[in-house]
Amino acid sequence: MPRRRHRTGWLRMGSLAAFTVVFVGFAIAAPGFLVVGNIANVVDQSAILGVLAFGMTVVIIGGGGDVITGGIDLSLAGNLGLSAAVFAVLSQSGSGDVLAVVAALASGVAVGFVNAFAVVRLRILPLLATLAVMNICAGVELVLTHNMVVQARSSLLSRLAGDGPFGLPVLAYLLLAIAFVLVLAVQCSPTGLRLYAVGGHREAARAAGLAVERHVGGSYLVSGLCGGIGGVFSAALLNGSTPGSGEMLLSIVVAALLGSVFSRRLVPTIAGTLLAVLFIGFLINGFQLINVSSYWVSGVEGVLILFVVGTTSLVRREMS
Amino acid sequence: MTKLIERRYYYEMRTLMLAVALAITVGGARADDAVTARSPALSLLGKTVGITVIGTDHYWDLRAYQGQVDEVRRLGGTAIAVDAGRNDSRQIAQIQTLISQKPDAIIEQLGTLSVLEPWLQKIRDAGIPLFTVDTATPLSLNDTTSDNFFIGEQLALRLANDIGGEGNILVFNGFYGVPVCAIRYDELKEVLKFYPKIRIIEPELRDVIPNTVQNAYTQITEVLNKYPEKGSIKAIWAAWDVPQVGATQALLAAGRTEIKTYGVDGSPDVVNLIKDPDSPAAAVVAQQPYEIGKAAVDNVARYLAGDHGVPLYSYIPAILVTKQNAAEVQKTLGQAS
Repeated sequence: MPRRRHRTGWLRMGSLAAFTVVFVGFAIAAPGFLVVGNIANVVDQSAILGVLAFGMTVVIIGGGGDVITGGIDLSLAGNLGLSAAVFAVLSQSGSGDVLAVVAALASGVAVGFVNAFAVVRLRILPLLATLAVMNICAGVELVLTHNMVVQARSSLLSRLAGDGPFGLPVLAYLLLAIAFVLVLAVQCSPTGLRLYAVGGHREAARAAGLAVERHVGGSYLVSGLCGGIGGVFSAALLNGSTPGSGEMLLSIVVAALLGSVFSRRLVPTIAGTLLAVLFIGFLINGFQLINVSSYWVSGVEGVLILFVVGTTSLVRREMS
Repeated sequence: MTKLIERRYYYEMRTLMLAVALAITVGGARADDAVTARSPALSLLGKTVGITVIGTDHYWDLRAYQGQVDEVRRLGGTAIAVDAGRNDSRQIAQIQTLISQKPDAIIEQLGTLSVLEPWLQKIRDAGIPLFTVDTATPLSLNDTTSDNFFIGEQLALRLANDIGGEGNILVFNGFYGVPVCAIRYDELKEVLKFYPKIRIIEPELRDVIPNTVQNAYTQITEVLNKYPEKGSIKAIWAAWDVPQVGATQALLAAGRTEIKTYGVDGSPDVVNLIKDPDSPAAAVVAQQPYEIGKAAVDNVARYLAGDHGVPLYSYIPAILVTKQNAAEVQKTLGQAS
């Protein structure tokens, strides 16, 4: 028992140490890294990835952490593209911001509903169900946009892409606000606790009288909503919708998996995911500041996945 | 009939005149270089130039990017070069970080104008001189590019002439959001106004990135099935040459080599296709991307040295490559193996 705690403790400390080393390393090597403006930039650039990774985290919490049979939402990146397209198309056709935002969020939740239905009612493996839904999203996005850039300009979008209090980007504030709300809902509420119970041991949770299906289904709806919010953010950042959102999928998976090494019991948490997202953001930013080719970043992301999945599964095997 | 002959004569004369004009421009460009070599040498010593490009997966993009990076180094400066890997949001993030790095100038290459414009404005707001490669925007102090009006017109005239001024053509128009592609497409439409018997088949085709070649192949194969009789399609036009590769392969595979393909950029593999007498690839307008990248950096160096008379546009000559001149042009472009 003590050995196991020792191991997980080592992994967590190791990850935090790695985060610190990277941070301090860049602070020394890269001029301008520690400037408030640059840090705000990184938080701002992490907003879209962060919101999507939060959705992924909730799904993994509710569905269990097993990479093959557990909870996963591969449709998130596709959902982002679709929601951004819905927003942009409506906005371009003259609809107001309110309608466009409501429609984008509704389209996100609708995607979440399809996922929930496929996973809970049809009992399809989440990995396959959400993969199929990812394709549906990409298809509908193509129908809406004809694979073209759809331009959207509105006061809401320019406000979202602009600066807020203290001259810091609005999206950075929004990311932190959403993280705060989700930490309260997932980490500090009875519902959140039940979600962990369902994901941790489904049969035990069912025996204890928890509404397992409702929790699992609900996690996909939350994830879908996150996709919708990400879509609106993306429309703000890019002045509309552009093809190619699907590329984000790997980063979302990395962030959600990496997040679990920041928690005491190696479980996914919202705060851990936020740290992971910022870690990836600082890594990309630092590389550019010290003028290392951006080509290294995707390689580093791949190495991170291997490292995290490898070590956590090793430690988990010892725990069981 | 006389009208047709007159028209042919007119176009032959016009092509001849343009060839002469081109020869003069190319010669002129060389003379310019000579002047530059003699004038006080350009230098970027102690200067940092940020270079942001949307992607380098296409021959043109890569060569123009290399041209910039090499020239900054040659002139003794430091290049912070970032490649967004064809991802708009990544390019925005890279531009944000570039602004915070406060380089002496930023060069932006290609990308989606509507996405970029607010962020290019932020570069200007930060007081950093902005230059562009192939991105036409009033926010840029200088855009170094090919003359895309000339490119579009040359390609369209050649196409119209080759198919005898009548018939159905297919058009790839997936990147109208990219200004250079829009110019080429609009020039095609402009020329076709005077060839009422040439009809663009609707709906137009949409070329995509990535998987451009495979996607173009599939789309063309499908359309060929819809138009099985020979002569029902005369030519295929694309605003760049990667869809042209896919289209050409699809024509070969379907045995429909009576259809000709047209494109822009002049990647080495495409120029080779044009040279091949059996290939349905009929023409490509070849640009000189490496020279374009190099010239953009030279403009930056001139500007930073205090010469604020840098023109709004610098045009690097492009060459129409056909079956007749392909071998020769390969040598001119330094592509001959």
